[in-house]
Amino acid sequence: MSRILELLEDATNGSCYRSNKYCADEDLSVPAIGYEESRNLTILKDRYGETDTNLKAPKNLTDIAKNLSTEKPLFSYFLDGSRRTYKVDDIELNKRIFPVMAGQIGVACCERKSPATFRCKEIETNLVIALPSEANPQTRSGAQFFNNLKDSINKIDRINRTGTQFSKILEYSSKIPNSREDQESKKYEHLAIAMIQDEMIDCEKKIVSTLTAKNILNEDNYLLKDGSLQYKPMRTGEYKELTKIKNNYRRVIGVSKLFNPELFRDRNNKSNAAAIANLPLYSRTPAFMFQHDLANQGHLGDYKFSIWYVRIRDQSKTDGPFAGVLKIEKILITDRENEEGLESDLVDIITANIINERNPVCYGKDSRWANHLYPVYLTEQYLKSRYLSDSHFLNLF
Amino acid sequence: MKQIGRIIATEKVPTTVDEFYFWTNKELIIRPFDVVKVQHIQESITFGVVEEISHLTDTSSSLAGFISSDFGDVTSREYTQRIGMNYVRAKVVGNSKGIYTPALDGYSVSLATEDDVKEALGLNDIQNPLPCGYIEMYEKPDNIMIPVHFNSQFLIGPEGAHLNISGISGLAAKTSYAMFLLKAIQTMALKTDESVAFVVMNVKGRDLLAIDEPNDSLPADDRKIYRDLGLDTNPFKYVKYYYPFSEDMTSSTYGRRNDIESQMELGKAFSYKYIFEDDKDSLDLLFSNVDDPNQTIESIVNAIVTGQGGFNGITNWNDLLKEVQAHTVAQSGKEKEITVLSWRKFFRLFRKTLDKTTIFQNSIAKQKKETRLREAIKNIRKNDVCVIDIAKLDEETQGFVFGDVMRAVYDLKLGQMELEEAEIPSKIVIFIDELNKYASKDVPKSSPVLRQLLDITERGRSLGIILFSAEQFKNDIHDRVKGNCATHAYGRTNAIEISKPDYQYIPAVYKSMLTRLKHGEYIVQNPVFRSLLNIKFPKPIYKQFKHG
Repeated sequence: MSRILELLEDATNGSCYRSNKYCADEDLSVPAIGYEESRNLTILKDRYGETDTNLKAPKNLTDIAKNLSTEKPLFSYFLDGSRRTYKVDDIELNKRIFPVMAGQIGVACCERKSPATFRCKEIETNLVIALPSEANPQTRSGAQFFNNLKDSINKIDRINRTGTQFSKILEYSSKIPNSREDQESKKYEHLAIAMIQDEMIDCEKKIVSTLTAKNILNEDNYLLKDGSLQYKPMRTGEYKELTKIKNNYRRVIGVSKLFNPELFRDRNNKSNAAAIANLPLYSRTPAFMFQHDLANQGHLGDYKFSIWYVRIRDQSKTDGPFAGVLKIEKILITDRENEEGLESDLVDIITANIINERNPVCYGKDSRWANHLYPVYLTEQYLKSRYLSDSHFLNLF
Repeated sequence: MKQIGRIIATEKVPTTVDEFYFWTNKELIIRPFDVVKVQHIQESITFGVVEEISHLTDTSSSLAGFISSDFGDVTSREYTQRIGMNYVRAKVVGNSKGIYTPALDGYSVSLATEDDVKEALGLNDIQNPLPCGYIEMYEKPDNIMIPVHFNSQFLIGPEGAHLNISGISGLAAKTSYAMFLLKAIQTMALKTDESVAFVVMNVKGRDLLAIDEPNDSLPADDRKIYRDLGLDTNPFKYVKYYYPFSEDMTSSTYGRRNDIESQMELGKAFSYKYIFEDDKDSLDLLFSNVDDPNQTIESIVNAIVTGQGGFNGITNWNDLLKEVQAHTVAQSGKEKEITVLSWRKFFRLFRKTLDKTTIFQNSIAKQKKETRLREAIKNIRKNDVCVIDIAKLDEETQGFVFGDVMRAVYDLKLGQMELEEAEIPSKIVIFIDELNKYASKDVPKSSPVLRQLLDITERGRSLGIILFSAEQFKNDIHDRVKGNCATHAYGRTNAIEISKPDYQYIPAVYKSMLTRLKHGEYIVQNPVFRSLLNIKFPKPIYKQFKHG
């Protein structure tokens, strides 16, 4: 058998339609406000995200940032994960039609040894296929079936010849959606992409875990992770239980370029998006403490965050109210942190360091330049450079 | 083998049979003309010569650079330097297995060893080696120094002949380079019994008036280089100096009286004169740069040489001048083909020359070390170096002497001087600086000196007359003169000159290098080398006069 799709037909007793193959990612070419962001967090009204409980208004960090700019930066490691998804075919299984999805997953962590030395520390890139659970013709465990199927795929000449290997076949639910709403939100494509996304997040956690195990993250060498640390509840994966791995995040800061300002609440749980929009340059908001939605996601365990915002670019020089504002998150680890929030000094130092990361900019290369931090941008570019080209990948099938 | 980068082949800029591109660390120092080697298929190695180096970053526009400094704050600092690399373009000069498919993306690029460089540039199996300088490559501690040799058959014949050196006066060291090559040729000739003689025109100060005396201030490093190149550190041997005659010895030369006298005592210096009886045939050379569209000057010279129209029986320059003057008086019915006006012009020019120069004399006193240059050339034997001083002569007389010397050498080689074949050196190298005076594009086409030069550059290779010439601006030189030179050495020059068509085929980065070459550095082109070479040579081995 020379092609993956032929092998799939054979193994799943299905038939492929040889439909158009394409990249399923929506190109995020315009900076946008992330209204889709998870609403799983609730603010803890009775607690503060930091020890300085008197801080009510934005705090200007210009001087701290200036003083710190001559010292060694706090952040030495930068982590970014991304995935690229493809719809490679439609397959008929038991008279129902499912999309065959595939993806390239990559997570990279780069190390900055000096201003001029930026090197890859860890990288993991995986190729995955997502199939409906229906694809398993047997009643036995799907995991075993899909694992065997993966091995057979990797033995195909065409795959071997190019030196590529698939690392996993992910299984998405083929349950028929009940309600109309479900039909919209749980399109099979979306389910499959979500599986691929989860796989990437798992990969991210794995790399953080590796870095911690190697003992290279410490109080002088923090890791800056691109995106939120608010991991969605996951059903599968090696690192699905965040409470068990949260110690790995002692020296990890999450910085989001895109966020939903609507979720920024004041202590009365009222939205205060305007406060972010009007944040002065090089100032941060007070940190607030958030907690996962314990009622619905109790299985995740109890973990809390401190979240605050900082403006790193002058509002008059950016093209939107939230361009130039970053959302910063840190998972609270110790009991004291869980009670009183982060030390305000630490919050200041972290924020000042992030302010100092503002230059150079990727203006002209990325429309999100005002919210991008250059080392993160470099990590992202490095990761992208490691992907197979779309046409190469699609032609594996 | 130090790896310095990897090949980049992109959609827009692919590697080709002729060139390849690679990245290096932005702090790596590499220079144009450095040789690099690239792994290639079938375990072969492709060699390239660096042509251009650019530094590039991911900055999409200049504006991004401005924004990256907090919108124009010159004191802003950054934790991360922008990602950047050096992007190098190299020209393919060879492959160890003759495989000329383009270098492949991602293959390793490394510095070359001495043997690699020799193989790459075709310097390893040169026949009849003649040192022409050395190449220095890379930065410490990887630096290497490689002696470079011409194949002498491509410099002084019979395969290829003539050398042209160009470069700005003072900065390019043209004379020093020519003399370095002459020294190398003399050393080689003495070792191999090759029969070569040299005629060197001294056109500037005392530059070449002590080439058989050692340079006491030659640094030890340069002495070592001479030895590394296989040359001894002695100055020229078998040198004879010819000074233009003047009563006080010094009014026609920049040489010091006591120097000249002591050279004369040692029997190696002479003063030269031109005697009407013997040298009138060369009279045409005196008017080389005079525009003569109707060939009237030529007719007058012809009349004098053949003794027509009253010129019969003249035996000295004074009588000649009187006779010419007689023709300047309007006389009806006489000499209609040459107008009185032409005679007057001739008279004016000729009188000016006789007034200014003292080399036109009526007799020779051999006991006073006086001679005719023709005699000197006739007596030239292998390994001899004749230095003819024309530095203080006026321009017309300089041309006259140079033309006469070339003519004498030509006659000698054509066997018109009644000498045994074995006595005549099989090759005579003539070195002339300021070639633009005699062979520029502005020189009248009828100029006998230009004709003589063309004869030498076009036929000299087979006759064994080799021209080493130098000038400031190559572009000014007559195309046929420079076109016939097998070897070209480009020294430091200026931006206007490199914009001229002569430099069209030189890659842009080499061109700009030409404007900042150091003293003693040349870019050399020779048929034996696979590409242009950036060579250096040691300081002169003979006595230097600091103030000319």
